Amino acid sequence: MGQQELDISGLNLESKSGPTVADELPKVSLAREKLLEEARRALESEEGGRKSASLVIIGHVDAGKSTLIGRLLYELGRVDEKTKIANERASDKIGKGSFSWAWELDGTTEERERGITMDVALQALETPNRRITILDAPGHRDFIPNMISGATQADCALLVVDSSTGEFEAGFERGGQTREHLILVRSLGVSQVVVAVNKLDQVDWSRDRYEDVCEQLKAFLVQSGFHPSRTSFVPVGAMAGVNLLDRSGSDVLALRAWYSGPTLVNLLDTLQPPTRDIDAPLRFPIFNVFKGSASATGVSGRICGGIVQVGERLRILPGDETAVVKSIESESEAEPLPWAAAGSNVTLYLIAVDPIHLSIGSVLCSPSNLIPLASVFTARIIVFDIEVPILAGTSVELFHQSRNVPASISKLTAILDRASGGVTKNNPRVLTKGASAEVQITIRPVAFSGPASRAQPIPIEPFASNKDMGRILIRRGGETISAGIVLTVVS
Amino acid sequence: MKLVGKHINKDHSGYVSIRPEDDEDMWHLYNLIQEGDNVRAPAIRRVQNVSATGSSESHRVRTTLTLTVSRVEFSPSTAPTGAEASSSSTTPLEPTASLQVTGRVAAENSHVKLGAFHTLDIEANRDVRIEKLEWDSIALERIEEASIPGRGAEVGAIVCGEGTAAFCLLSQHMTVVRQRIAVPVPRKRTGSATAHERGLSRFYDTLYQTFLRHIPYSSPSLRAIVIASPGWVRDAVFDHIMAEATRTGNRALLGARPKFVRVHINSPHVHSLVEVLKSPEIVSQLKETKFAREGIMLDKFFKMLGSDEQRAWYGPDHVSLAVDRGAVGTLLISDELFRASDPQLRKRYVTLVEDVREKRGEVLIFSSMHESGQQLNQITGIAAILNFPLDVEVVEAEEREAKEEAEKKLQESAEGA
Ligand SMILES: Nc1nc2c(ncn2[C@@H]2O[C@H](COP(=O)(O)OP(=O)(O)OP(=O)(O)O)[C@@H](O)[C@H]2O)c(=O)[nH]1
Ligand SMILES: [Mg+2]
Repeated sequence: MGQQELDISGLNLESKSGPTVADELPKVSLAREKLLEEARRALESEEGGRKSASLVIIGHVDAGKSTLIGRLLYELGRVDEKTKIANERASDKIGKGSFSWAWELDGTTEERERGITMDVALQALETPNRRITILDAPGHRDFIPNMISGATQADCALLVVDSSTGEFEAGFERGGQTREHLILVRSLGVSQVVVAVNKLDQVDWSRDRYEDVCEQLKAFLVQSGFHPSRTSFVPVGAMAGVNLLDRSGSDVLALRAWYSGPTLVNLLDTLQPPTRDIDAPLRFPIFNVFKGSASATGVSGRICGGIVQVGERLRILPGDETAVVKSIESESEAEPLPWAAAGSNVTLYLIAVDPIHLSIGSVLCSPSNLIPLASVFTARIIVFDIEVPILAGTSVELFHQSRNVPASISKLTAILDRASGGVTKNNPRVLTKGASAEVQITIRPVAFSGPASRAQPIPIEPFASNKDMGRILIRRGGETISAGIVLTVVS
Repeated sequence: MKLVGKHINKDHSGYVSIRPEDDEDMWHLYNLIQEGDNVRAPAIRRVQNVSATGSSESHRVRTTLTLTVSRVEFSPSTAPTGAEASSSSTTPLEPTASLQVTGRVAAENSHVKLGAFHTLDIEANRDVRIEKLEWDSIALERIEEASIPGRGAEVGAIVCGEGTAAFCLLSQHMTVVRQRIAVPVPRKRTGSATAHERGLSRFYDTLYQTFLRHIPYSSPSLRAIVIASPGWVRDAVFDHIMAEATRTGNRALLGARPKFVRVHINSPHVHSLVEVLKSPEIVSQLKETKFAREGIMLDKFFKMLGSDEQRAWYGPDHVSLAVDRGAVGTLLISDELFRASDPQLRKRYVTLVEDVREKRGEVLIFSSMHESGQQLNQITGIAAILNFPLDVEVVEAEEREAKEEAEKKLQESAEGA
């Protein structure tokens, strides 16, 4: 198949990048002005010290993602000796000794028993110049919805591939998650990727194998819309901690013989921090809800625009409820924060709200500037490598931030030229692989609730207003078939 | 559904009397009763009595009314919440669907004047008489199919993900979502999975209680109980159900163990039932059932659209052309098309079905109350798998030419005259 079909750059996301905000706040209070000023000053001074960025760890199942992060946390002193030993003992006891490093991330009983990451684990670490939020995603294809909800919160990606014979190939072939994950993160706006070529111990630290894997990936990365200047590669042995922080130890003479480039930490230390649109209206899509201390409810996620401070009343959409921010915490900060701005991954502790009104996928906004709710909208999409074409009426699942809902591609408006974006055909009968198109998408009503039932609208907004809130992914039968951006909300 | 009486004249007019018994029968009636039919059924009517002193009082009387139908409304199971919907595991479940027939009174009686408006709430186990000017083949076929005794839910299905589950009953013509549950399960957090695990165990408990109330697991007509999920939730759910059955000594449930089938699906939404129906585990058990066949053929149609586009046609106009050319091997058509309020339109689809059958093609009338039918509805409600490839554009061009030719001839003969 022509890999060009997968080229997400066909969406021309970059050329569309003027930050246009649909609605201006009616009246800006002085307090808000002051807050913005303070935030701007703080973010600027951050330029001098440690900059923050968030990193999603992606790759095919069993590539060694969790092991790599577990080991890295240990190397950086974020996991102490006692915990390390406890993990070793306990994992050994259930016959899963090889997963002891992963246990730091794979926290649930089921994950540990199966040796599989099932949901995203959140961690934080520091390199000399960066403060990094880690989102360790599951590789198993059944948990891609969770992986997506993690990836929507990241600026950069760390792709881990298993270099051992046959394993790299399994992850990289059609239907493997090495491919799918890369396409997913690119579609979600991630443009920087570090590739860790792992388990090189399994191939005797072979330089040929390393280079072969890199070559295959390089071609695919370019075709998927990643710029070569924003991709880098590093050979590692996650389990033994080789080339994460350094290359000491006698067992890696073989690697040292041919590799003198950066370590993983060197590369992480130069990650580009996100651009933060702090003047935009506040958007906080909820990734997790849990019971906090006292009467507060914790909601975590990434701020996708704007700024939030303690004491603010926020509206919860969909719905009519509001809540008040009691405190703000971040995984990467020891102290609670007075405020947090776009691009930060934080937990808000909310009060004055019944927790039943807070659910994963809801969006918190400032009451004076709400995100639109939509059950029908138009979108520009790019169709991936599919076998069954898309018809008007095709049933799909729509992914947006941490939410996924049944939907249908209700109208095929036009096929677009991939380079210019101009219309090449109106009202096409079908969309086949590689097509770029304008379509209408309708959220499906709850199944079998009668002929006249209406769908529950979801909070979503045009890409032109807020990039993060305007990106969508479309899946069908367990496969990602398309990605796109929201153009207009119809109803 | 019981067929109580039937009288069809040579000119296809006539009446049928039936006794609906369950949700599916309500659905049959919804599909049978059309605008303009006369329907006779028990009714409750509020009547005003003016007494000799001039004071008026109103009371409700039970009577039987005949209406000329102007509107029919169906609403499927109004998913009952909590305690109200308890039923024992062996008896068939009480119908939850409702059917309302509105129209003018066509036969006067002592309580109601001719021409007055009334809305009948069709009730289970009470006879309904439908009188039509024309009983076509599709309507008669439905009567026949619906009155085969011993039907009812054949498959119970729990479609679940972590924290969500939908309890469904599938019969030949409908999927009923009896109940949905959503228990918040917090995600794992750094250094702590206890909230997650507590959430999960609350979910399993709620799921078990709901299961007992909504899935008639030991009813003999229920052939299979499917637990479907992505990941491994289905295994945990099955283990929990069996553990609880053992702990509480629920013999009936333990006895139903062989009915359980676990199926992998790609998403926890109810629409994944289409994946359930085409999974090998289910196909081998249910292949002869109507709804399983529908699922398989719709899947075949979609696949063919990708691999052999010239043999997969859809949309009423295109499919009609393919039928005209005798090319249709399998016709997939939704019951929704036959509910057209325009009798001409209905007739067109009836003829289409008859044509395909005449040429030995297979016809599958999809129920809109199954996910496969809803997916067919989304793509116009009609599709066909052809016996040989035909190019849509070529056929359309030929049709245009033939039409122009005919018009030219007509014009020539007009000019010649
Ligand atoms: N030989 C060798 N094995 C490794 C290395 N890194 C990880 N593994 C093994 O690979 C297996 C999978 O590791 P995980 O860290 O769970 O992989 P993962 O990518 O997080 O898997 P999922 O999250 O389930 O997709 C474990 O048995 C690890 O011990 C390595 O550098 N060398
Ligand atoms: Mg993992």
